[in-house]
Amino acid sequence: MYAVRQFGNGIFSMNGREWSLLVACLLAIILFSVVSPHYATSGNAATVLRNSVELLLIGLGMTLLLAMGGIDVSIGIVMGLAAIAIGRVLGAGGNPLLALVAGPMVGALLGCVTATVVVLGRVPAIVGTLGLLGVYRTAVFVLLGGQWLSGLPSSLTNLLATTVLGVPVPALVIAIAYLAVWLALRRTPYGLHLLAIGNSEEKARLSGIPVIKTRFMTFVISCVLTGIAATFYVATYRNVEMTIGSTLALDAIAAVILGGTSILGGRCSLIGTVLGVLLLRILQNGLLLIGVPSLWQPVVTGILIIGVLGFEAVSNRFPLVQLLRARA
Amino acid sequence: MTEPFLVARNIAKRFGALTALANVDLEIRSGEVLALLGDNGAGKSTFIKILAGAHPPSDGELVIEGSPVAFSSPKDAASSGIATIFQELALSENLSIAENVFLGRELKRSILGIPFLKRKEMRQRVDGLLKELDAHISDPEAPVGSLSGGQRQAVAICRALNLNARLVIMDEPTAALAVAETRKVLALTRRLAARGCAVVLISHNISEVFEVADRIVVFRRGRKVAERLAAETNHEEVVSLITGAHPDVRALEKPN
Repeated sequence: MYAVRQFGNGIFSMNGREWSLLVACLLAIILFSVVSPHYATSGNAATVLRNSVELLLIGLGMTLLLAMGGIDVSIGIVMGLAAIAIGRVLGAGGNPLLALVAGPMVGALLGCVTATVVVLGRVPAIVGTLGLLGVYRTAVFVLLGGQWLSGLPSSLTNLLATTVLGVPVPALVIAIAYLAVWLALRRTPYGLHLLAIGNSEEKARLSGIPVIKTRFMTFVISCVLTGIAATFYVATYRNVEMTIGSTLALDAIAAVILGGTSILGGRCSLIGTVLGVLLLRILQNGLLLIGVPSLWQPVVTGILIIGVLGFEAVSNRFPLVQLLRARA
Repeated sequence: MTEPFLVARNIAKRFGALTALANVDLEIRSGEVLALLGDNGAGKSTFIKILAGAHPPSDGELVIEGSPVAFSSPKDAASSGIATIFQELALSENLSIAENVFLGRELKRSILGIPFLKRKEMRQRVDGLLKELDAHISDPEAPVGSLSGGQRQAVAICRALNLNARLVIMDEPTAALAVAETRKVLALTRRLAARGCAVVLISHNISEVFEVADRIVVFRRGRKVAERLAAETNHEEVVSLITGAHPDVRALEKPN
């Protein structure tokens, strides 16, 4: 169970799980290319990558949360609330720079609310964030007043659709976010504390780790990343609809678990999360192109979660599978 | 003889009407392994919890190197140089040996205000400690989850040493270990004392105690009923002290 390979702490270290995800991505691409003539185009590749931006940012935060033994099921609606704030700033003709900081700021604020409930209030994370999900969802309805925010000015879009030295801004931001999260996780005391808490909160406390501070910070970091995701969302779609973010938490948890992060905490893979997000988006896009209605997307996500966790439960029960896995 | 590292004077602990510990006087010396023996409920655990700062005593005082101390938390005890290795070791199985040894007290350097781990230095320090303890663990980067029970004890001892502990309290360190592992942990205990640490060992295994302890203290019904130099007593006498069959204990417990 604690094979040494987990300690591949390199920035892009891959283990068996991650290689198989990469293979799964490639297989899916080949399969869809054969079935649909519209699939293997550069335009579609761009669409898949474009659709992955928000989920990549949110997935990084969710990886930290799950690794710590936490979870945030309200994360999609947090993005919705941040997107509304950004939309309002843009709609009022506000400075695009203000719109740029509005997302992370609203994210930080909501992260403090979540952390207050879950960490300071000691409500179990799954229950606390489920409660907040209800509250936030109603807040989205009330703030939007039953109407979409649409036709937002393109000032933010112009700012984020550019390239820096030939690299698209979203790719750059994701690279920076990945590097920052990886450094925090593998190169600072915070990362060690987070993993220790994920292993056992009680032992972490006995070891003299600042458990409350570490947990609080992590919920806030996750929401700030979500606020940045909201900025890209508004820049791309230039509208905010009533159902914004409703499947994001499910997608994020699915991608992170696919990537090899333990739902029980203590173990995580950032590169796995990236590959998990890509696989999820490739499948969702491909199924759409071969004629499966988008209504079915959450079904695919759900089946992936159940499949992965089911497989892990089975492989933990049967020694043979465990043995095979230990050899991997 | 040099001044003891810690002196406990007239220590008592009451939980409501229940007296868990009464009138315990004890000296703990550096470089010496002191074994606490006694039946379940004799007061050993209560006593070490007082030493570890987990319980405040109801009465009496603790004196460390001549000055009285009062612990309100395990952290206070730790900063006075007392480290406790509990039976259920507080190690994180998913982290490496080096990470565990430094957990909560990492070496770090600040770059742009962000604390970064000094991984190399931590690894080297732990490597040195493991060699010094002759713990037969070659790779400080190995996850603690992959170690045997005895190796985990060694990691916990490293952790205590790394906190510059002057007194290490070990609560039944060999209770869950196989024979060969037990031998190693006992050897570690001896080496800890040889390094100048004071060691307090709680054990149920009398032959084990005779193997490592310099002094033996027997608790019975919340009192210290006997103190012997290990060299001057034997298995039978210690058993009779624990069970209360020894004349000294009978005299002590005779209703007056």
